[in-house]
Amino acid sequence: MHSHAGYDARELTRFAHKTHPLWWGILGVVTIEATVVASLIASYFYLRMDAEAWPPPGVDPPGLLFPTINLVLLVTSSGTMYWAGWGINRENKLVLTLGTSASVALASLVLVLRGIELSDLGFLWNSHPYGSIVWTMMGFHFVHVVSAIIGTAVVAFLAGIGYFTRERQLGVVVDTLYWYFVAGIWIPLYLVLCWAPRVL
Amino acid sequence: MSVIEPPRQGEIVTRTPEELDRLSSTWESPGGLIGWFMPVNQRVIGRRFVLTAFVFFFLAGALAVLMRIQLMRPENDFLSPDLYNQFFTVHGTAMMFLFAIPVMEGIAIYIVPMMVGTRDMAFPRLNAFGYYVYLIGGAVFFGSLLFNIAPAAGWFNYVPLAGIEYSPGLGVGIWTTMITFIEVSALTAAVELIVTILKLRAPGMSLNRMPLFVWSALVTAFMIVFAMPAIIAASSLLVMDRQIGTHIFTPETGGQPLLWQHLFWFFGHPEVYIILMPALGIISTIIPVFTQRPIFGYTALVLSLVATGFIGFGLWVHHMFATGLPQLGMSFFMAASAMIAIPQGIQVFCWIASMWGARMRFDTPLLYVLGFFVIFVVGGISGVMVAVIPFDLQVHDTFFLVAHFHYVLIGGAVFPLIGGMYYWYPKMFGRMMDERLGKISFWLAFIGFNVTFFPMHQLGLQGMPRRIYTYLEELGWGDLNLLATMGSFILAAGFLLSLFNALWSLWRGAPAGEDPWGSPTLEWATPSPPPNYNHAHIPIVSGRYPLWDRRGEESSPVVVGLRDDRREVLVTTVLDAEPHAVAVMPAPTIWPFISAVAASTGFLGILYHPSFFLVGFFGAAATFTMWFWPRRPWRDD
Ligand code: HEM
Ligand SMILES: [Cu+2]
Repeated sequence: MHSHAGYDARELTRFAHKTHPLWWGILGVVTIEATVVASLIASYFYLRMDAEAWPPPGVDPPGLLFPTINLVLLVTSSGTMYWAGWGINRENKLVLTLGTSASVALASLVLVLRGIELSDLGFLWNSHPYGSIVWTMMGFHFVHVVSAIIGTAVVAFLAGIGYFTRERQLGVVVDTLYWYFVAGIWIPLYLVLCWAPRVL
Repeated sequence: MSVIEPPRQGEIVTRTPEELDRLSSTWESPGGLIGWFMPVNQRVIGRRFVLTAFVFFFLAGALAVLMRIQLMRPENDFLSPDLYNQFFTVHGTAMMFLFAIPVMEGIAIYIVPMMVGTRDMAFPRLNAFGYYVYLIGGAVFFGSLLFNIAPAAGWFNYVPLAGIEYSPGLGVGIWTTMITFIEVSALTAAVELIVTILKLRAPGMSLNRMPLFVWSALVTAFMIVFAMPAIIAASSLLVMDRQIGTHIFTPETGGQPLLWQHLFWFFGHPEVYIILMPALGIISTIIPVFTQRPIFGYTALVLSLVATGFIGFGLWVHHMFATGLPQLGMSFFMAASAMIAIPQGIQVFCWIASMWGARMRFDTPLLYVLGFFVIFVVGGISGVMVAVIPFDLQVHDTFFLVAHFHYVLIGGAVFPLIGGMYYWYPKMFGRMMDERLGKISFWLAFIGFNVTFFPMHQLGLQGMPRRIYTYLEELGWGDLNLLATMGSFILAAGFLLSLFNALWSLWRGAPAGEDPWGSPTLEWATPSPPPNYNHAHIPIVSGRYPLWDRRGEESSPVVVGLRDDRREVLVTTVLDAEPHAVAVMPAPTIWPFISAVAASTGFLGILYHPSFFLVGFFGAAATFTMWFWPRRPWRDD
């Protein structure tokens, strides 16, 4: 059996990003993590279903102030991520560095506020089932913010030394995708943790 | 660039020996001791998955035989009650998590990229990472048996029994942590398979031309992605209950033990289909080859795979009929359980139609598939019986159930799997397995299997509960148990004979050549065992049966213009597989191994002290950074 040339791949881009397998891979990671979140939320309501009072008598749900500020911060940080990507699309390495660094700074602030909030909750993970699931969900998100910060800090550093270009920006694109997820997943968690006990 | 004069469309292309050498060294895996921890090529990793999984299979099988010896006669004291508990827990867990899933993944990792005509999986390093995590998790899990600290709360690890109060000690901790490891490994493999299948197919292999085995791998991978997170969440919650005193599953402080059951079975039922699905793909692969004609009802088969994938998620509550859930809900799940019979029936119909009136070659792979039919039908019937709630309540937790799920798991998954091993062995090792030994092994396994498990239906109806380490003489269960134990010896002999056959054929088997069976799919268009780069050129496909379609033609079209001095693969569109980019794949590295070690140290350490979480988390983060760190020359310039 001979072979003949049926398609020439020489001209195809080697710099795909939104069509690159890695982009799809991150989408897969996001799907998995979203399913974990769904399991946690389902567990939250399952525990609530059989509890006599939820939260238990004398216990307040998490306050509204810090979580709401965090929501705003996370949305803003997604905006700065978007701005960073906008920059590198125009070969503007400075905007890329500034944008990613700003996101890291905003998310670090989120961690600080989250820390204060957790220490002010007034109950611990081992106080009662309510405390267990609330701490789990908050902690879960906390850890995700930390990983997004680490990843983005690396991207910001590489941007600073000029690694990324308009073409070679796969790292930025996938990191941004993950960032949107970490920021966005706070919305359902926020609604469940802060609003469900008040309105449902 | 390899081709100095770019070939024009239609021009004959050949690889010169120098080009092939360069291509081969580009895709080569490093040798040596350190080199062992570095390869990322899909065939190396896939083979390791398969071999490791079979080691666990034989270990778990040995435990099964020991359990059967214990049950051979009434009031036997061969195994202590505690050891019996450890054995069935480790046997069940190992068979489900350490064998059935990884072996199917391993085969898919090995075969799928070649079947779709590419050179590696989409994320080669992640692939290696998944393997090491699995290896470490499995080794620790089995190792715990040696120290007599193995888990003993059954393969579904129900709380409160599995809570710290009733199961102190390390056993359950090891169970939860190791399960999480193996799930992580399964999830990495699943994401990779999905992306490889959707994005790296050879040009022209549109979705409706994809081999059925690839379809089954795709559906399996999607099921893993949606099923496994639930068990990861569940086992993390349990670890926290046990290690840091949370109250999720502890009834005495307001927790909900039934939540464990829901989370577990939300994963556990699809799990059965996750195990079954690739086996269905193997059957649909083997039948056309041994009848030498296209499968009947390709579209119907694809749709039933997809439908099974969806229905599989609606069924978990049928494992909990005995827990007293609301009546209406229960009836819904009963109906759903019966509904699964529809796609299964369609598949069986298509397979029978494919074989009807065909001239079949009764070689070992086909024999195992035919054995599947017989066993699976029995398993399906007993399955429909236990899906009926009143009947289920009757036989709940008896040996009837043990018989049922072994019919489904061994008949449904292990038999096709072994058929598949006989079928693909020549490709993997370049030699044929011995036919005569193969046939003898089949008959031993088939007869042994039925002698072992058929009597268990009767034992269950006579009331023998599962998970008992012995029983009294007066109950009259002795004869059937003795029969079952005899059967398990025959069954074991059958499997061992296949093992022997595989080892012996490594150097004594007849050379296989490229395509010993006359198969239609692309993995048979390369030498056996395949060279480092799989295909000399990425092929272009224009039908469902590429190798049959090009029979009688002079020349077949291929892709040119991929560089051979770095790892380039073609990226194509999801639906029609039209080329739209080239991805440069990463080379071998030791970082995935180091990441796996760092992560497992941390997460195992949690059993010792919760602060090890930080070790695991930051260890993984640091090693991941090193693994992704770009090195000059930039890979894609
Ligand atoms: C090699 C032949 C096999 C034999 C002789 C065998 C035998 C047994 C025995 C004696 C038990 C314990 C029953 C009890 O006391 O409750 C058992 C349990 C089990 N087996 Fe097997 N088995 C075999 C293969 C397999 C395979 C291939 C799988 C799955 C892929 C499997 C999955 C299980 C599971 C999930 C349990 C339940 C464990 C538990 O109760 O927690 N077995 N088997
Ligand atoms: Cu089920």
